[in-house]
Amino acid sequence: MLDTLLFILVVVPFLAALGLYALRIESLRMALVLVTAVLLTGASLALFFVETIAFSTTLLGVNPKPLIIILDYVILLIFLGVGISARHWLIISLSTGQLILLTVFQLVSPVQDPGQILFMVDPLAKLMVAVVSIVGSVIIIHALPYMKNHEEHLHLPRSRQPQFFALMVLFLGAMNGLVLSNHLLDFYFFFEVTTLCSFLLIRHDLTDESKRNALLALWINSLGGLALLTGVLWIAFDLGTLNIQQILAAAPEAAFLLLPIGLLCFAGLTKAAQLPFQSWLLGAMVAPTPVSALLHSATMVKVGVYLILRFSPAYAETFFSVAVALVGAFTFLAAAALAISQSNGKKILAYSTISNLGLIIACAGINTPTAIAAAMFLIIFHAVSKALLFLCVGTIEQRIASRDIEDMRGLYEIMPVTALIAVLGSLTMILPPFGMLLGKWMAIAASADHILLVTILALGSAVTVLYWARWAGLFMSYPHSGKVAAESQPVLTRLPLLGLIAGAVLLSFYAPWIFNALISPAIALMTVSLPETVPTTSWGILVLDRGSFPVIPLFLASAVGVLIALYFFKAAGRVQLSGPYLSGAQLPEDQNSYTGPLLASVKPSTSNYYLEKIFGENVLNRYVNTAALMLIILMLGGGL
Amino acid sequence: MDTAQIFLALIAGLFLAPLAVGVITGIDRRITARLQSRLGPPILQPFYDIGKLLGKEAMLANHWLAFCAFIYLAGAVTSVVLFFLQSDLLLIFFVQAAGSVFLVIGALSVPNSPYSQVGAHRELLQIIAYEPLLILVIVGIYMTTGSFQIDAVYAMDQPLLYKMPLLFLVLGIALTIKLRKSPFDISGSHHAHQEIVRGVYTEYSGPYLAIVKVAHWFEIALILGLLSLFWSTSVVGLVLLLGITYFVEILVDNTTSRMTWRWMLRAAWITGITLSTINLLWLYYG
Repeated sequence: MLDTLLFILVVVPFLAALGLYALRIESLRMALVLVTAVLLTGASLALFFVETIAFSTTLLGVNPKPLIIILDYVILLIFLGVGISARHWLIISLSTGQLILLTVFQLVSPVQDPGQILFMVDPLAKLMVAVVSIVGSVIIIHALPYMKNHEEHLHLPRSRQPQFFALMVLFLGAMNGLVLSNHLLDFYFFFEVTTLCSFLLIRHDLTDESKRNALLALWINSLGGLALLTGVLWIAFDLGTLNIQQILAAAPEAAFLLLPIGLLCFAGLTKAAQLPFQSWLLGAMVAPTPVSALLHSATMVKVGVYLILRFSPAYAETFFSVAVALVGAFTFLAAAALAISQSNGKKILAYSTISNLGLIIACAGINTPTAIAAAMFLIIFHAVSKALLFLCVGTIEQRIASRDIEDMRGLYEIMPVTALIAVLGSLTMILPPFGMLLGKWMAIAASADHILLVTILALGSAVTVLYWARWAGLFMSYPHSGKVAAESQPVLTRLPLLGLIAGAVLLSFYAPWIFNALISPAIALMTVSLPETVPTTSWGILVLDRGSFPVIPLFLASAVGVLIALYFFKAAGRVQLSGPYLSGAQLPEDQNSYTGPLLASVKPSTSNYYLEKIFGENVLNRYVNTAALMLIILMLGGGL
Repeated sequence: MDTAQIFLALIAGLFLAPLAVGVITGIDRRITARLQSRLGPPILQPFYDIGKLLGKEAMLANHWLAFCAFIYLAGAVTSVVLFFLQSDLLLIFFVQAAGSVFLVIGALSVPNSPYSQVGAHRELLQIIAYEPLLILVIVGIYMTTGSFQIDAVYAMDQPLLYKMPLLFLVLGIALTIKLRKSPFDISGSHHAHQEIVRGVYTEYSGPYLAIVKVAHWFEIALILGLLSLFWSTSVVGLVLLLGITYFVEILVDNTTSRMTWRWMLRAAWITGITLSTINLLWLYYG
């Protein structure tokens, strides 16, 4: 049973990718994508019924080790080739470095591991697999109508959808492999596959900008790859094993192990686009929106936080851990501040992703049971809400041909359903009783013993509210005019949006159950000897040693509030609309204009505050990148 | 808590708290008037105002304004009820924040109303000015009592004020911003000499403005509740502390004029965070 599930989760996407690449018939492609999505979703759910910890030493009776080594070389040679053809010295040197290290390791490997555990399924892995497989599948389904539309605008001589869908599906397989591997070298392989997929997906449109940004993503992630490989080899020579469970067990006593683990965390920071490595993720938004949705929610950046979270037991209760928390918390605040100055919808979402991943990393660094639980909650809820918001922006962009939120003023009039879903999605990011806020609440409660940390989180939390509230208000706006009618959309566009918003709300409602079934066993395995008591739930109330969050009662109270407000909203539908207040100088024939100088009719226009003189990228970037770099040096030095 | 206590808490949170704040607002207006050499309205004028507004014909520039007004009210009411149920302070804070976000969303939902848009953005700046301060005050309460739950405060045998004097000042700054009193009446002022069109409130009118006003009373009730925690050991001390603090608020309101949002952000963050850090360090090493 376990073997079959692992085969479906890891190998089937690779096979499906081959199929998708070969098939050039649209209906067959659609069928294959849907079948893969159903298989992945089903298998990730079935994985919950496997016992708490399960191992597999082979993949359907075969040891894939030799194949993985060969593919490692193939990928690195591809990177080298890309570097040479683009004359990009950073990529050339980073991939050569990895090739040399890998070869040295093959020749003088100190690791003796016959019959090693290949895959390990534990609660954290199950959680990640579910996020990757389910959210990822929804995004790929939404991409079917999206890409068709996308290519109709481009008038390509030959469709590039086969490559596109092959890479998207391959990405999911690599992610599943990555979170399930128990051997660091396999982990490294899947890490490189995600780098490769993201590189190819970012340059998918083949414009100059997308090629440039793809190279940017490639070199930054190759830097992470080099750090990861160095850390892996260091651990191998230090401990003689690359089995993650054995490393975690040996870590508290092993000397000089924090530094290689610091290198792993460094790799995690580059993947998660933490400051000062944020530029690649911001550049990645040139790709078609489904790619952004995938990179930001279910895959890629989640590799980084998963890596840091997975190794959190190895550095618990050290100064290094505090430094990791500071690095994450700083990014949480700085990226949120940078988001204020943006009017590009996708860029706001990108900064918000960077910021939220910072919060998750901060939780891993705080490293108490409450904080680890918060990190897991944030991973789940962030994936769902962020995927939803990207898909909304993509859908809107195809309709209004702009991704600037100023152009989305009055959106409710044009596409009310999508606008409302986007508003609700943004509210699930910041407001109670939704899961993101539950995670933030736990994070602040867990950080309250550390003054600097909690101050940064308090500031970041407030700044986050600013840009989301602005977003929600703008999407809800509509100018004073006639009736608003629901827009029509293809089923495969509408269903993923509805599914994700339902998921964001329902998963938040079921947070206490998710905690009991998944997160509580996970933290029991991950935090072995910590003084703080583990959170519990009773009657839908999440109880910490220092506070409580009544999830279900709050949901019921909110439901009552929303029902009352909806009743009055309906009642207000009978109210005659009056036009905005324009100091009494409104024109009788046009309520949106007023009588200006020389009796001319003037239509006032408004725009958001972007506060660029304070929060602009060209003001802040210099300082925050330097500060983030200092903190990372502090973190790595803390490993000494 | 047993059932009777929960019932009492609901009564207090739902009815007594807003009524008390209504009276306090009336007294505030009266004292303010005297300070400005006017006679001032009757003490119960705030209630008459609400009654009058409820009787007005409904006019809206966007139907979502109605929805947002009621969610604002729901958030504020829930937070006050949670306060009287002695729930988690951090949670109470986030619930009230949800309400205030909807006040802004409503104001933003009228795309071409200049006053409303500017007011909404200013209100967001007020929110980011006071929110971190409130969180730090709550963290200070946690550091003193070892819990975020309000019942832990009532278990103390010494007023919190002794341990958290600077954080009390910080809460005072947050209170002034939340009450939109001068010098922080940036998103909407109640003084006609500052502005006649009321910023973030511009597009809320008639019955919906009444709802928004009542919601604001609940918000004030919550902040006064937070203040009262600083002298939780005796009723006399509590009333005195609240009375003196509110009187100082009125004095500050009438002796200062509105400043810019840049000044507010700087003043609130630099002063507030410095004071909080010093006080938190005392608690940490004390």
